[in-house]
Amino acid sequence: MQYFKTLKYGLHVMVHPFDGFWDLKRERRGSLAAALTIVVLTIVTYVVQKQNTAFLFNFNRLEQLNVTEDIITVFLLFLLWCVSSWCLTSLMDGEGTLKDIAIATGYAILPIVLINLPLVAISYVIAADEGAFYYTFGTISYLWAGGLLFFSMMVTHQYSFKKTIMTVILTILGMAIILFLGLLFFSVIQKIIIFALTIYKEIRFR
Amino acid sequence: MNLRKKMLRCLIAFVMIFCFIADNELQQVYADTSYDTYSYNFWGDDVLQPPTYLPGETIDAGRMGTTLNYPEDMFLFNECFYIADTGNSRIVCLSNSGSLLWELGIFSHEGGEDSLNKPQGLCVTKEGHIYVADSGNGRIVEFDAERNFIREIIRPDTDLISASVDFIPTKIVVDEAGRIYCISYGINMGLLEFDKNGVFQGFMGATQVSTNMFDYIWKNYFSTAQQQERMETIIPTEYSNIFMDQENFIYATISNLDEDDFMNGADALRRLNPTGTDVLRRLGNYDIKGDLYTMSGGESDFSKFVDVSATTYGCYFVLDSTDGKVFAYDYDGNSLFIFGKKGNRVGSAAQAVAIGVSDEEEQIYIMDSIMNCILVYDITEYGRQLLSAYEKANAGDSQGAYAAWQDVLQFNANSEFAYIGIGKALLKEGDYKEAMKYFKLGNSRKYYTRAFKFYRKELMQENFSVIMTVLGCLLGALAVFWIYKKIKRLAGDARCNISKL
Repeated sequence: MQYFKTLKYGLHVMVHPFDGFWDLKRERRGSLAAALTIVVLTIVTYVVQKQNTAFLFNFNRLEQLNVTEDIITVFLLFLLWCVSSWCLTSLMDGEGTLKDIAIATGYAILPIVLINLPLVAISYVIAADEGAFYYTFGTISYLWAGGLLFFSMMVTHQYSFKKTIMTVILTILGMAIILFLGLLFFSVIQKIIIFALTIYKEIRFR
Repeated sequence: MNLRKKMLRCLIAFVMIFCFIADNELQQVYADTSYDTYSYNFWGDDVLQPPTYLPGETIDAGRMGTTLNYPEDMFLFNECFYIADTGNSRIVCLSNSGSLLWELGIFSHEGGEDSLNKPQGLCVTKEGHIYVADSGNGRIVEFDAERNFIREIIRPDTDLISASVDFIPTKIVVDEAGRIYCISYGINMGLLEFDKNGVFQGFMGATQVSTNMFDYIWKNYFSTAQQQERMETIIPTEYSNIFMDQENFIYATISNLDEDDFMNGADALRRLNPTGTDVLRRLGNYDIKGDLYTMSGGESDFSKFVDVSATTYGCYFVLDSTDGKVFAYDYDGNSLFIFGKKGNRVGSAAQAVAIGVSDEEEQIYIMDSIMNCILVYDITEYGRQLLSAYEKANAGDSQGAYAAWQDVLQFNANSEFAYIGIGKALLKEGDYKEAMKYFKLGNSRKYYTRAFKFYRKELMQENFSVIMTVLGCLLGALAVFWIYKKIKRLAGDARCNISKL
């Protein structure tokens, strides 16, 4: 039952970020399994919200939605954030390991799940002019998660407020750079493969 | 290829063969158009639809018995074409079938002879009086129904127009009270308004100058005199054509828009009320600017509105000279259908300059100033149903509109307005659930939410007892749980205290 206990601890972290994240790391009250569960739930939330929100609030072209794409988007963002954050914090005297960061990040995005999933259901009973509530709660969930993410970094690495801001900005920059390098890598690999194929064909059809 | 695909192909082939054998009429309807008929849906896709108007005969020089030379304007009155034959400096009147009735170039004026000089516009009043924008002579001339000279209106003596600007009227309309509105070349303060005695009243419907803050600051504070000279001056846009509808509101087109204007949603069309305020309804999904996308993205490819004609029930047809297309919009500004093409095949115009719509919208006429002819487009059954649905809806006949929309759906199952139209009729009848279904198909959230609210209210009233019971039970269960926890805690505390003792 250790797993469920660690999962439930997420609720505590949500409302008590400072000692929540502290105990998460120092007292080992969280677990990687629980954090990954939250990430999976976030993916589910994202997909469900895109597909199952009521017509009035759903501006997606349902016939063009691609679940695989959505899953990859969320998971890639999580992965990029963790890796980029880990790269930077290990350079900037951070105390957290990659595992710590992954756990803290997972717990930090819990509000997105807890608020947006009920919102999908609520969207079926409200009219367009009552949509202000709907959109406000959606925004709150993301702001909340953002705040938690910030505090998670601050507490996990024992940073000052200023240093955390700095690191967050650099982390986002780092994510962009990793993405860029990744695309570059793939495009170069593609070119190389095409080159090799062309040479093969040249020789083959001579 | 898997089996399902194969079966589908067989089915399609079978249906096509069946159509060919069984319904020759259907074949006829879809044959021989040099253009596609389409409209933009909620997502901004161009969705093909059956043709609404098909190219009919062409009224050319042979049929007219005279050759036009760069005609610039056309006015339909009493089933006759009144044409401003600019290149030949005359006014031509053609009968409904296209044969020449009379021409008017030279007329007697104050005992002597006078003539028109490159008239670019004209209009005919209910009494048959002809007002000609005699551009070359810088005046407006009025003739009566027998083509006798009545009066001329020359350049107004006013300080509002700077002395260096000539008065060159190009397009003209006259309302029922006899007020005259005209566009004058090079005057961008709006339409010139004259009262029925020909006295200049002022400008109306001036277009607002729009400029962004960055441009303004850069231009006025950071550039040198030489730079300023080379920059374009920020000037209001000029109208290209005007049309007066039956309510005496003026539809005005604006054609000299650049790419920025296009992207930022500048208005290419206005509907001016008698005080000069723009009252065009822009409730459609997209701006009223013609095609949403261009082939190559070049500036010259944007639609250029040169003429407009409105129906009595609020739908209007705008002519675009870039592609020779006709854009039909409904009262709310939704793209209804688009047809036409630039070119010299049957049914395409080389240089479309003027549009006219016959009574009941049975025919649309487009004047081509390079081929010097009038192209006639005949309405199809589908187009008739579509327009009649709007006409009936406008007249408040929701049953009739419902039936017409059902017919439209038979022709075009992609028609969003047909779904919305049916939804509206259902909403009126009180069938909210069904209305919601149709509004969803028509992608109209605006009307969907209206129907949804009624539906929700209805549901709440019907199931009030059930909802309240469930809510009550839930609240009760929560209360019991809370009390249980409290008691447990109190008991625990008590036990602690006892053990301490």
